[in-house]
Amino acid sequence: MKLLDLALHDLVRSLRSTFMIGMTVVAPLLITGLIYFAFSGMASGGSSDLPAVRVGIVNADSLPAGAPLSESLGATMRGMFFDESVATWIAASDYPDAAAGRAAVDRQEIGVAVVIPAAFTADLLAGREGAPLTLIQDPTLTVTPLVVRNMLVSLLDGVSGGGIAIETIRERQEAAGLPADPAQIPALIAQYETWYADFQRDLFHHPERAALVTRPLAVDQATTNPMANLLGMTMVGQMIFFAFFTGAYAMMSILREQEEGTLARLFTTPTDRTTILAGKFLAVVLTVVLQGLVLMTAGRLAFGVDWGDPAAAALALSGQVIAASGLGVLLIALVKDTRQAGPVLGGGLTTLGMLSGLFTANMPNMPALFDQIGAFTPQGWVLRGWRLVLEGGAAGELLLPLAVCLGMGAVLFALGAVLFRRRFA
Amino acid sequence: MRLLDIALKDLRQMLRDRRSLLFLVAMPIGFTFFMAFAYRGQQSDPAADHRLVLAWVDQDGAATLGQALADRLAGSDAVRLEPMDEAAALEAVRQKTAAGALIIPAGFSAGRRTGGTPQLVLVTDSASTTGQSLYQVLRAPVTQVMSAVEIANISVEALASATTLDAAARAAEFEAAFQTAQAKWAAANNSARVQTRLAAAPKVADPYGGNPYNQASPGILVQFVIFGLVTSAQILLQERKTRTLQRMLTTSLSPAAAVGGHFLAMFTLTLLQEVLLVGFGQIALGVDYLRELLGLLLVMVALALCTASLGLLIGVLAQQDQQVVLFSLIAMFVFSALGGTWFPLEVAGQAFATVGRLTPMAWAMTGFQNIVIRGLDFSSTWLPAGVLAVFTLGFFALAVWRFRAD
Repeated sequence: MKLLDLALHDLVRSLRSTFMIGMTVVAPLLITGLIYFAFSGMASGGSSDLPAVRVGIVNADSLPAGAPLSESLGATMRGMFFDESVATWIAASDYPDAAAGRAAVDRQEIGVAVVIPAAFTADLLAGREGAPLTLIQDPTLTVTPLVVRNMLVSLLDGVSGGGIAIETIRERQEAAGLPADPAQIPALIAQYETWYADFQRDLFHHPERAALVTRPLAVDQATTNPMANLLGMTMVGQMIFFAFFTGAYAMMSILREQEEGTLARLFTTPTDRTTILAGKFLAVVLTVVLQGLVLMTAGRLAFGVDWGDPAAAALALSGQVIAASGLGVLLIALVKDTRQAGPVLGGGLTTLGMLSGLFTANMPNMPALFDQIGAFTPQGWVLRGWRLVLEGGAAGELLLPLAVCLGMGAVLFALGAVLFRRRFA
Repeated sequence: MRLLDIALKDLRQMLRDRRSLLFLVAMPIGFTFFMAFAYRGQQSDPAADHRLVLAWVDQDGAATLGQALADRLAGSDAVRLEPMDEAAALEAVRQKTAAGALIIPAGFSAGRRTGGTPQLVLVTDSASTTGQSLYQVLRAPVTQVMSAVEIANISVEALASATTLDAAARAAEFEAAFQTAQAKWAAANNSARVQTRLAAAPKVADPYGGNPYNQASPGILVQFVIFGLVTSAQILLQERKTRTLQRMLTTSLSPAAAVGGHFLAMFTLTLLQEVLLVGFGQIALGVDYLRELLGLLLVMVALALCTASLGLLIGVLAQQDQQVVLFSLIAMFVFSALGGTWFPLEVAGQAFATVGRLTPMAWAMTGFQNIVIRGLDFSSTWLPAGVLAVFTLGFFALAVWRFRAD
């Protein structure tokens, strides 16, 4: 069948193009691979690949006389950052004063300098406000200062808890008219501290006993690697962007043949123009289908992306193919030659992809405006469909996005086909 | 001077091509606006409530602990509670109208009071920053409420050891001790004992100087200077393919002048692009590049030199126009991601961040950030410029070696 012959000819030509392979398969996998490289170690729970926390300690604190502690809180805080158990992800160093700490932050030797003022322990134990702990942070960092701050507040909460326990017990004993018994205090503190240590350990290391646990929305995602969810959306964003690029670039064969003169020769053959154009359109569809299947397979094998319900994924892929092919036909119908196609494909598709949210699919709290803009672009609807697939949606939930993609794709294709027929009439 | 002639010829060729203007200027400006708008999120409206919405599902009835936790969170500036049933809560999370749902199961209070281990369940996407933030916000108040439970239990036992308490008295004593401990936790406020100060001289207390363009503008600039190489590298490729370059070398034109002319054109174009984007950032986006003009010029020149040498290498390696585009795109993706232009390296894994800091674009970002965000002076730009110079020499040496081999 001539239509199939034409389509296969164009398909094979595309597959022989290094540029085409690079843009349709290598580029999206490369970008997803970079994201995987950036975050995979953390998602697997390997502490050796946690973001390095570089902290400097300036400790001016001292233990007041008569304090019921074995060391000052400043020394305890310092010890927390130098402890061997955190050595794989915290690099701590000492500095003599706040100016030295600040200079180290400026030189980017450390991300945060913790300045512990003199009499900090005395003020805390006496319930006085006193001088606060000061974190001098690199203004380009957000994670490191937050981690350090949480560790410090958690430690202070642990100390405060012991004090609160003693005060509460004393007050309740006074309220009950019972005399205070100092001999009870050490045992009560020890009991509370044992509970606190166990509580914190359960929170971080024993989720089956922890007072607070997290659970994903879909039960069947409970055992899914969270990294796979992140990579899934990244893969989807890249797959959609490059699918639309593929749809347009594959259609460029018609411009190339026109410039090379082979198209005119083709039109002189007994094969009617409708068949020739249909063959080229079919090649576009086949290329985009093949690209989608290759990327989905690679995403599954290389990055563990779970494509959910097969029927739903097939519907999402169908919508993507029709929308990408339709837009590709129209875009190329609008340009005169391959030189013009560069800015149209590069600039136009990138802009549309950006506005549709393909590059920010993983970012939370995006302005609602982007969702609204995405409702008017084919990429936006394809993204909606794939988002439903990754969230475990059933095939029935994909019907609306699919219908919109089919409608948009058909309209765009029809417009492009009309323009081509006029051009080659 | 022939070197200048070649450079001017290349520049005229490049600037006649309207595609150049699109990729060199229009797209990076568009991306800068877009990414800064995306990062800003809803912060542009100071009157809006930007707290994370937490769907609150209290299945524990009128028992104490759920209410105590809600009271602790009532004054939070990070999270806003919205009571609802479980089905509505899960739907809200699914529709992303709530960042998460906290389910307090029936029997939670009774179980925890008697030493059991019933659990509060936070339904959220723990892989997202929102989900992780929500967990962090909840951890401290949950710890404090559970601490108050334990203190109350210890108090009851201490009292029971000294006097006789029946079941009703134990329950009343527990409640009184719990409320006492709760009040003391509310007064403790250890968060206020830890203050944060930014290390540079920004005008506001927020990271990145409070201006979302402070990260987006240098990031997009560094990313797109690489892609701007496409046009200039294609000219070099065209001369190689058409043997024009080889014919030029049969004249009195030296190979050094030939290479130097193309290099100078690439450098000039890249520097022009940087000037436009820096000017746009300064005037339209409020990014204070000009606060340290000498340092800024040093980083810009070093980046332009490094990028031009990379363009020379691409122009020498590629055999077709499409390969120039492909190589430039791959270089852009790899160097941009590793260089911290897509996301700060501090949020990536250690291995990625270590490799990233070895790339030239990471040093270019450091140079710009030292000026714009950290507010440092000229001396802070020496090291980034020096590293970029080393990369320049490396790329240039490779390009010359390959050029000679051809």
